[in-house]
Amino acid sequence: MRDSRLPDARTLAVLRLAQPRLARFAPGALLGLLSAASSVALLATSAWLITRAAEHPPILFLSAAIVGVRAFALGRAGFRYADRLASHDAAFRQLAAVRVGIYSRLVPLAPDGLGATARGDLLTRLVNDVDELQNLPLRVVQPLVTAAVTAVLSVIGISLILPAAGFALALSLAIGFIVSTVAHSAIAARAERAIAPLRGALGDRLLEFVNGLDVFIAFGAVAERQAAVDEADARLRTATLARAAAAGVTAAVLSALAATATVGGLIVGIPALAHGSIGGPALAVIALVPLAVFDVVGTAPLAMAAWRQVRSSAERIAASVPTDPPAELPTELPAGAPSRGNPPPQPTAPDGTVLELVDVAASWPGATEPAVHGVTVRLRRGDRLVVRGPSGSGKTTLAHLLVRFLDYSGSFRLGGVEARDLPLETVRATIGLVEQSPYLFDESVRQNLLFARDTATDGELVAALERVGLASWLSERGGLDARVGDAGSLVSGGQAGRIALARALLADFPVIVFDEPAANVEPRLAELLLRDILSIATDEHRTVIVISHLPVPDALVSHRLDLDSARPLEAAGTFDPTARSTPAL
Amino acid sequence: MRPFDPRLLRYAAAARLFLVLSGALGVARTACTVAFCWLLSRVLVDAIHGVPLEAAWGVIGALAAVGALRAALVWLADFGSARGSALVKSQLRRRFVAGLARLGPGWLAGRNRAEIATTAGHGLEALDGYFSLFLPQLVLTAVATPVIVAVMMLQDATSGIAVLVTLPLIPLFMVLIGWATQSVQRAQWRSLTHLSSRFLDLVNGLATLKIFGRAERQRSRIEAITEGYRVETMKVLRISFLSGFALELIASLSVALVAVSVGLRLVNGDLGLGVGLFVLLLAPEAFLPLRQVGANYHAAADGIAAAEDVFVVLDAADAVPTPLTRAASNWQPGALAPAGVRFSRVTVDYEGDRAVHPFNAEIDAGRMTVLAGPSGSGKSSIIAALLGFVPFAGEIDIDGDRSAERLDRVAWAGQNAGLLEGTIAANVALGAASVDRALVERSLALAAASELDQDSPVAVNGGGLSGGQADRVAVARAIYRCLDRGCPILVLDEPTAALDGDTEADLLVGLRTLAAAGITVLVASHRPAVLAAADDVIRMAEPANA
Repeated sequence: MRDSRLPDARTLAVLRLAQPRLARFAPGALLGLLSAASSVALLATSAWLITRAAEHPPILFLSAAIVGVRAFALGRAGFRYADRLASHDAAFRQLAAVRVGIYSRLVPLAPDGLGATARGDLLTRLVNDVDELQNLPLRVVQPLVTAAVTAVLSVIGISLILPAAGFALALSLAIGFIVSTVAHSAIAARAERAIAPLRGALGDRLLEFVNGLDVFIAFGAVAERQAAVDEADARLRTATLARAAAAGVTAAVLSALAATATVGGLIVGIPALAHGSIGGPALAVIALVPLAVFDVVGTAPLAMAAWRQVRSSAERIAASVPTDPPAELPTELPAGAPSRGNPPPQPTAPDGTVLELVDVAASWPGATEPAVHGVTVRLRRGDRLVVRGPSGSGKTTLAHLLVRFLDYSGSFRLGGVEARDLPLETVRATIGLVEQSPYLFDESVRQNLLFARDTATDGELVAALERVGLASWLSERGGLDARVGDAGSLVSGGQAGRIALARALLADFPVIVFDEPAANVEPRLAELLLRDILSIATDEHRTVIVISHLPVPDALVSHRLDLDSARPLEAAGTFDPTARSTPAL
Repeated sequence: MRPFDPRLLRYAAAARLFLVLSGALGVARTACTVAFCWLLSRVLVDAIHGVPLEAAWGVIGALAAVGALRAALVWLADFGSARGSALVKSQLRRRFVAGLARLGPGWLAGRNRAEIATTAGHGLEALDGYFSLFLPQLVLTAVATPVIVAVMMLQDATSGIAVLVTLPLIPLFMVLIGWATQSVQRAQWRSLTHLSSRFLDLVNGLATLKIFGRAERQRSRIEAITEGYRVETMKVLRISFLSGFALELIASLSVALVAVSVGLRLVNGDLGLGVGLFVLLLAPEAFLPLRQVGANYHAAADGIAAAEDVFVVLDAADAVPTPLTRAASNWQPGALAPAGVRFSRVTVDYEGDRAVHPFNAEIDAGRMTVLAGPSGSGKSSIIAALLGFVPFAGEIDIDGDRSAERLDRVAWAGQNAGLLEGTIAANVALGAASVDRALVERSLALAAASELDQDSPVAVNGGGLSGGQADRVAVARAIYRCLDRGCPILVLDEPTAALDGDTEADLLVGLRTLAAAGITVLVASHRPAVLAAADDVIRMAEPANA
C-alpha cells in the first residue's frame, strides 16, 4: 500500500508550491460544487415534480418545481463552464509561482549539481514534471472536494426526508469513496510498479531493433531480435491485462453501489410511505437521488489517477532538485559579507599574473575520487594555454572549477585574490566559459547576443559577428532578427561555436575558457575554428585557455598543460600496454 | 480527423473482434438500463398505490439483480477495452517491426531512430484511451441511443420526439464549436507553441545564463512568459470549453423539457405515473453515450494520431516489392575459401541525388584494401550497396556470385555499433548458434579490445562502454563471424574514428594478421595510419553534387 502512504517532507514542499492559496482556489471549487449540486438537484426536483403531479394538485403548487427543474438544468451546464474557466485560470496563475520556485532551486545547482538530470532529455522531463504540477488543484483537489461535499450535502438532504434512507446512502457512499480512492490506488500503484519496468524493457528492445537493424540484417539475426521484441511485448500485455482485471472492479463496484443505495432507499422508504411518515414524491426523491450522486462520486478514480501522476512528478522534482546543494558545489558568500577584507580583484595582480592555480583539485558531486588534481599553472595577460589529455582526465572538470560551477581544493587565485573569497558573480565576470555544446536560445540572433552585454547596439552586435567570421552567415539569414531555432537547431556546430565566441567577446571577459570548441565541428573545419579562436580571442591581450584533444599549432600557444601527466594517480592504471602481445589467428 | 481509420481493421485483426464484442456488450448494457429504469418506476408506482413492502420484494429483488448484472457488464466492458487495446497494440507492433525489417536500413537512414522506436513503443499507449473511452461509446451511441429513443417513443411519443429533436443538436454544436476552436488555435498557434517552450529553453540554457551572470534576472521573465501563456491559453479555452457547455446544456435541458411536459400531462391525467417516471429515467440515458463521445473526442484524436504514425511505416512496408531480409540460405559455413570483390559501374542514388560516381574496383582476396576519400565522397554508400542495404545500379560480385547469397560471405562492422543489452560475449557472437568463448577472446584481441572482459555487461545501446570500446566490440563481432563461419570478406566502415593512436595501431596489427590469413579486408577510412597499413588504396572522387 505504498500509494496510500503520505508523501515525504521534501515532496510535500514541492506540492505545497503547486496548490494555490484558498482565495484563488475557492471560486473554481465553489462553481464546480454548484454544478455538481445542480445535477443532483435536477434529478431530485424532476422526480418530485412528476410524482407530485400524479397526485393532481393545482398547477400552482408545481410551478416552483417547474422553475427549479429549468434553473438546475441551466445551472448544471452554466456553472460547469464557469468552473472550468475559473479553475484553469487559477492553475495557470499558480504555474508561474511553481516555475519560479523550482527555477530558484535550480539556479545554484546548475549544471553540475543536477547529476544525470542535466542531460537534455531528463531536463525536459523535469520541466514537464513542473508543468504537471498544475494538475494538483485542477484534477486532484477540486474533483475530490466537489465529490465529497456533494456527497455530504446529498446525505444531509435525504436524511432530512428520512434519516434511515440518509444512513443507507451515507453507508454506500462511504464504501464507494473508499473503493474508488484507497483500494483503487493501491491496485493501480502495485500494477504500475510491475508494469513500468516491462514497458521500459519493451522500449529498449524496440530501440535496439531500430538502431541495429542494419547489423541484424547483416548478421542474420533479424528473426531472433523480432522474437525478443515479441517476448517483451507479451510480458507487458500479460501484466497490463492483470491490472485491467483488477482496476475494472472499481467501476463495477461503484455501479453496483449506486443500485444498492437505490434499493436500500426503497426498502426503508416503502414502509415509511405505508406509515404515512413520508409522501410519494419524497419516496421518488429517496430512490432516485443516489443515481445522480454516484455519477459525481464516479469521478474520484480519475482524480486518484491524476494524483498518482502529480505525486510522482513531485517526487522526481524533489529528488533531482535538492534544496541543499551538494558539498562539491561552491556556496555563495554570505550576503553583504565583505570578501574577507580583500579588495575587489584587479584583473591583473601587481606582478602581472591574471590567474594562478597551485595544486588544484576538484570532484564531481557523489564521486569518491577527485576528477582532476595536482593542477599548477600561472597565466599572465595575453597568455594562451592549451589543455589536453585523454577523455576522463578531467578537462571539463577544470573548466567548470574555473567558472566556479564546481568547488575546488588547493589555491586558485584570480588577480592575486583567492577565488573562494570572491562572490561567484565576480569570478564569473572575470572568467568566461564557452561550453562544449554552447547553448543557443530559441530566440533571434540579437537576443542570443544581447544577454552577454545588454547595452550593446546593433552595430556592436554585427561587428562582433563579423569578427568571428559570421558576416556572410548573418546576411544569408537576414540579419539580427533571424531565429536560431529550438536549441540552435537551425545552426551548425561550427556556427554555434562562433556565435558563442562572439557572445564571450561581447561580454569582454578578461579570461575566456573554451571547452573542446571543435568537438561538434567537422574535422575539416575544426582546425580552422581552433586557429580563429586563438587568434581572435587574444587580440586584446585577453588570457585564453583552450581545452582540446585536437592538436594546436605551436605558434598560437604560449603554455601547454597535459592533464594526463599532471595526474600521477593515473600511472597506476588498469592495464599495461607493453603486456599486450600481437594476437594470432 | 476521422474518428475511425479502416486501416485499423486491416492491420490489426483484434480490432474487428473488439468491435463485435463491444456491440454485443452494448446491446446487453442497454437492455439492463431499460430494465432497471422500468423496474424502478414499477416499484415506485406500486408503493405509491399502496402495495406493501412484503408484496414488492419480487420486483425489488429483480431490480437488485439487474443492478448487479449491470455492474458485471461494466467490468466486462472495462476489461474488454483493455484487452482489445493490448491485443491491437501487440499486433500493430509485430507488423511494425516486420515492416521495418522489410524496409531496411536504407529507409531508416536520415530518419530519427529514437522517434521511430517510440512510435511503436510508448507512442501506441495513446490507443488505450481510444479503446477504453472513445470506441465503446461510439459503438454504444450506435446501439443504445436508437433503442432507448424507440422505447421512449413507444411509451410516450411526446417525450420521444423531444429527445429525437434535441439529439442531433449535439453533433451539430460539436462541429461548429470545433471549427471555432480550431480557428482560434490556429490564430494563437505560433505564440502558444513559442510560449510553451520558453521555460524549457531557459532551464536548458541555465548554465549559459550563469556564465553571463544573467540567471538571477530570469525570475521576472519566467513570470511574464507564464502569464503570457495563461492569457493566450485562456483565449482558446473560452471557446473550446463551449463544446462541453453545449453538450451538458442540451442534455440537461431536454431532461428538464421531458420532466416538465410529463409533469403537466400528469396533472391533467393524460399520462400514467409509471410511464412518466420511466420516461424521465430513460431521457438522460439516451444522451449519455453521445455525451461521452463528445467529451472523449480528444482521446480519439490522440489514438488515431498514434496509429497513423504506425500506419505510415506499414503502408511504406507494403509498398516494398521485395523484402531485404533473406530467408536462411543453404550456404554452408566451413573452411575459409578466399574470395575477392568486384565493383563495376556502381552508382547509388539517394532520392534523386547521386551519392556515388560510377565506381569500378577490384578488391583482391587476402589483401587489406582501404577505401579513402573525404566525408561525403560515398565510401559508406559503396559499402551499403555491397551489403544490399540500398538499391544501386551496376554490378557487384563476390568471386562471380551476384546473387543475394553473396552476402553470406561478408562480415561487416558499420559506423553505428548497434550493440544489444547483454554481455560482450553475446554481442560478439551475434547471429551464431552458440557462443565459442575462446573465439570471442581471440576476436576481441584482434580488434584491440582485449582489455574488455567478455562476461562484462553491456547496457541498452552499448551503454557502459565508451564510443571507442563499442566500435571495437562491433569490429570483434565482424571478426568473430569471419572466423566462426569462414566468411572470406571483412568490411569495416571507419573502425578507428574514435580511437587514440596506440589503439588504432593495435587494431591495424589485428587487421594485417587477418589479411595474412587469407581474409579480404576492406576498410573505409581517411585516417593516415590506416592508409599507411593498407596493401591497396582506392581513392574516391569528390561527390557528384558537391
